[in-house]
Parts: sequence; C-alpha cells; structure tokens
Amino acid sequence: MDIEINRANPAPKLSGAAIRRSKGERIFDALNIVGMLVLGIVMLYPFYYVLIIAFNSPTDTAASPLWLFPRQLTLLNFETVLQYPGLARAFLVTALRCLVAPFYSVSVCFMAAYALSNRHLPWRRFIVFFLLLPTFIGGSMVSTYIVIARLKLINTFWVFVLPGAFAYFISVVMRASLDNLPAELQESAMLDGASYYRIFFQIMLPLSKSVLAAFFFFAVVSNWLDLNSSLFYITKKNLYTLQYIMHLVLKSNEAANIIDHNSMSMDRLVEDMERMREKPTPLSVRMAITALVTFPILFIYPFFQHYFVKGMLTGAVKA
Amino acid sequence: MNKAVELAGLRKKKKFRTVQTQYIGELFVLLAPALLSTLVFGYLPMISNYMAFLDYRLTNGFMGLDSPFVGFKNFDFLAQAWFYKIVGRTFLYSICGIAVSYPSALILALCFNELRSLRFKKIVQTISYVPHFVSWVTVASIVYMFLTVEYEGLFNNLRQALGFEGRISFMQRADYFLPLLVISSIWKNLGWSTILYMSAMSSIEEQLYEAAMVDGASRLQRALYITLPGLVPIFCIQLIFSMGNLFNSSFDQVFNLQNDVIQADVMTLNLYTYFYGIVNQRFAHAAAVGLFNGIISVILICSTNAITRRLSDTGIF
Repeated sequence: MDIEINRANPAPKLSGAAIRRSKGERIFDALNIVGMLVLGIVMLYPFYYVLIIAFNSPTDTAASPLWLFPRQLTLLNFETVLQYPGLARAFLVTALRCLVAPFYSVSVCFMAAYALSNRHLPWRRFIVFFLLLPTFIGGSMVSTYIVIARLKLINTFWVFVLPGAFAYFISVVMRASLDNLPAELQESAMLDGASYYRIFFQIMLPLSKSVLAAFFFFAVVSNWLDLNSSLFYITKKNLYTLQYIMHLVLKSNEAANIIDHNSMSMDRLVEDMERMREKPTPLSVRMAITALVTFPILFIYPFFQHYFVKGMLTGAVKA
Repeated sequence: MNKAVELAGLRKKKKFRTVQTQYIGELFVLLAPALLSTLVFGYLPMISNYMAFLDYRLTNGFMGLDSPFVGFKNFDFLAQAWFYKIVGRTFLYSICGIAVSYPSALILALCFNELRSLRFKKIVQTISYVPHFVSWVTVASIVYMFLTVEYEGLFNNLRQALGFEGRISFMQRADYFLPLLVISSIWKNLGWSTILYMSAMSSIEEQLYEAAMVDGASRLQRALYITLPGLVPIFCIQLIFSMGNLFNSSFDQVFNLQNDVIQADVMTLNLYTYFYGIVNQRFAHAAAVGLFNGIISVILICSTNAITRRLSDTGIF
C-alpha cells in the first residue's frame, strides 16, 4: 500500500520542504488532520462505549450518564454472561463453523478454479455459463429455504457449511491468479507425465498459498459475522451461534433469562445475600455479550489487514 | 522457416492432446463439488420459484411441486396499495444510502490522499476499516445503547447536556429510521469503501502530477484536475452497478435495526419475504413477492449493464 500511496501524491518527494506550502494549504492540512482525528474517534468511540458500560457497575450505569471512564469497575456483567450455559456451546459451534465452512468453501472454489483455468477442459464455455447463471437469477429467500428444508438440512450443522460453499466470483479471482502463473509449469509437468491431480496438489496448491490464505480469512470473518443462516434455518438450541445469541439477547427476553439463570442457583443466592451483590441489568448484560462476540474478530483483523485489503482489491479489479 | 515452426507447434499440440485426454476425467472430478453445489443450491431454488404459481403445500410430492396450479393467484398483491408502499420504501432506503455513502467515500479518499504523513495515514485508514469487521447485530446493539431513553443512552445524555428538554425514544419512532440507516451504514462501510478509490489513485500516472507541478499547479488544483477525474470512471461504474440493487435493501441492516414497535412502518421487500415466508410459513405468497423482486432486479442489472457497456466498455457479461 505504502508504495502506491507515494505514487499518488509525490509532493513530499519533489518539493520536500514545507516552505513551499501556501497559507491556504497549511490551513487545509491542519483541518485535514483534525478531521481525520475526529473520524478516528467516531469510528472507535462506539466500541469504547460498549466496553465502559460492560465494565461499569450496572446500578451505577442506570443512575446517571457515563461519558469517558467507568466509575465503578466491575466484572459482574461478564461473570453473569459467562455463566450462561448456552454461551460455551455457541462459541464451540461458531468456532467449528469458522474452520469447517471456510476450508470446504475454499477447497471447492479452488478446485473449480483450477479446472476452469485449464485450456483443455471440454465444454468450458458451457460450464462457466452453468456456474455463473445462478448468481444472477438465483432463487429467492423462500425458494432457497424450501430446498434446504427438503434436503433435511434444517437444524443441522451442515446448513452452515454447504449452501454458500461455491461462489463463482471467488473462483474467478482464484482462476485469475492461476492464469498469472507461467503456463510452462503445467506443460513441462505434463510432458513428464504428471496427472492433473499431481499438478494440482504439487504445483498449483503450493504456489497459490497466499491467495488461498486470503480467501480463507475472508470466509472465517464472514462466517463469524453471519447471522442469517442461524436466523433462517436453526431453531435448536444446541446449534445456536454467538451472533444468534447476541441477536436473541438484543431482540427478545434472553437477557432477562441470562440474569435469571444466574440468580437461580442456590449457592449464588446465598452468596449474593452475603455480599449484598447487585443484579446486572439487561442493558449491561447486552453490552457484555456484545463485547465478547465483537472483540475477538477485531483483535485478529489488524494482523491480517494486508490480506483483506489485497483480497478486496483483486476481487474488485477482476470484477 | 515459418512453416517449420508451425509444424513443430502442431506436433507439440498433438502430443499434449494425447497426454491430456488420458487424465481429462480428473478435471471433472475436481469440478464436481462446484457443479453439484451450484446445481443444488443455485438451480433447485431457481426451479422451485415455480411454487409462486401453486397452491403450495410443502408435503405435495418432490419439494411440494405437485401442488395444484393456481396461475397468478398468488400475485394478487400487485393490485394492492400496501405492496407499492413497501416497494416505494425499499427504493427510498436504497437511494438515500447510495446518494450519501458513495460521494462521502470519494471525498474521504481524496482527504486520505492529501495526508502528508504516511504513517498517520496508514493508522487512520486502518482505524476506518475496523467497523467493517463487525456484524449488523453488533451495530444494532451499539445503536440501541446510543439511542435508548435510559441513562445508558448516549444521544439523550448529549441532548440533555446541551440543554434540550426531554428524552426521546429514537428507536420507537419510525421517522428516525431512515437517518439511522444512512448513518449506520456510513459508519460501518465508509472506510472500507475508500479502498477501491485509493487503489484507483495509485494507478494514476505520476507524470501527470509532475507535469502539473512544473506548470505551478497548487495541491488543490492537482486534486481537482488530476486525482478527481482519475476516480470518476470507477465512481460511475460503482454507482451504475449499485442501481441493480435498488430493490434489495440490505436485509441484515434493516432486520437488525428495526424492532417490533416500528416494524410495520419500516417494512421493506426483503423483510416482508422473511416475515411472511419463513416466520409465518406462507411460502407461496412470499415466493411470489420474492420472484417479483428477483425479476425486477434482473431487469435492472441487465439494463445497467447495457448502459455501462455503452459508456465505458466495461460490463459483467
């Protein structure tokens, strides 16, 4: 990215000194920097607000406005949420889904991309058309639901994995990266008698590692963030995902359930009496769960930002 | 000489043929999962759109497609006023979203480009991408926190601090929903959508800037007469393509930000299909609405594609 940016605005390189800048320019630069700081605050403050509410004592939060710092630090909200038995299970389901679905999807797309990149594939134009058409005239939400219902995928784990596995668009981008590899690689391997499998696994796969990794991370994130497949196809409690639990907490009385469950146990009641412990409010529970579901992915993101930006760009340019 | 080369080429090709046909089945094996996946999750739903013309029962034969044919009976919503209200609202939401988000991303990209410190620029950019990695459920949760009447509600706190009377329950009022949609989608996507412009900027030729500087163009002039025109093509293409989605307001966004109180007043086409088709299981009716929506979308995509073709020679098909 850095290099590209340099090219776009070569001013510093050529003029170098700040003396050349006129007064208007200097005012603009200052305003621009201030604007960027404001932008940064606008982008980050909401997350910070979630955190301070989640870490503040619920009765105190409900009593008066909170701006910048928690007044009474407490872990009560998180304790309450973490003791909710559905949460661990949901985390497990989500984590499993975030590994299995991307792996399957990337494999399917990459195998198709390799086959399509091969000039000798018969009926290639027809196959491309066949794969492309549903992205434009697919089924509606309901007709997809019917198909998934008839395949008995409702309330199974596979509903997270199978339906979205092949995306034509992704395999086009993968194919473009395969096309960039020198054709001689495949030709010489063929002359040496290698089969397509062998070329695929021993040449194409190792050479495409970075592209595959980029799409893998893409898929992990979108699986982590996805609500719709749980919303449409899951009604069984043991297949709830984190996003779905957060949705329930936000939309229904699930927050109250969490709090009740927490104070139901006898030990807890005794402990509460002893310590004169306060009860969390639905709002504070909501913020605690929001923090728990949202932050893991945000911490991962900066490390893979490079991949995301690159993936987004290749996708956009090729499309 | 030429002939010899040609002959050699031919011979080479022939040799390939023999090697390759031997293994050609393998390519189809590699292709099989994709073909199967497309067939099952692409074509079957497409075919089962047919249920919009049936008196649909899920249990009638394969996928319920043996249900009695009723023609256009399920499309009777086309004659009813509420439907056009929903269509109009969906249209309004998408138009407002597009009208605000695209230009603001363009302006932000220009401002990024004018930052002199590369380090600072990189940090700001990274920060601006962060909300993209958050689900709409989280956004809804944060929005709820900001707007609630209770003391957790940041907006009402601000209003009071500034001396306004009373606390407003923003989430329960349908007239605040459109601004809410626009602002939330800007917050979530603004930074991310600058990426495309930033990359377009990097492909503008450096000589243009150098020539302009030699001629004494100021930075403003360079931004206005070189960078901006360099971005216009990609801006237009994006804009035109987004027209294809005019009747597909973002389901995730609207669904998560609405609530029971305002639901009827903010209903969009997607939401309607969800509530009637999947929640209430009135499959045929919802499928008819979905099919209508799908047909309109295809028409819009095809016509915008034709327009882009004519304007800039870039199309999807």
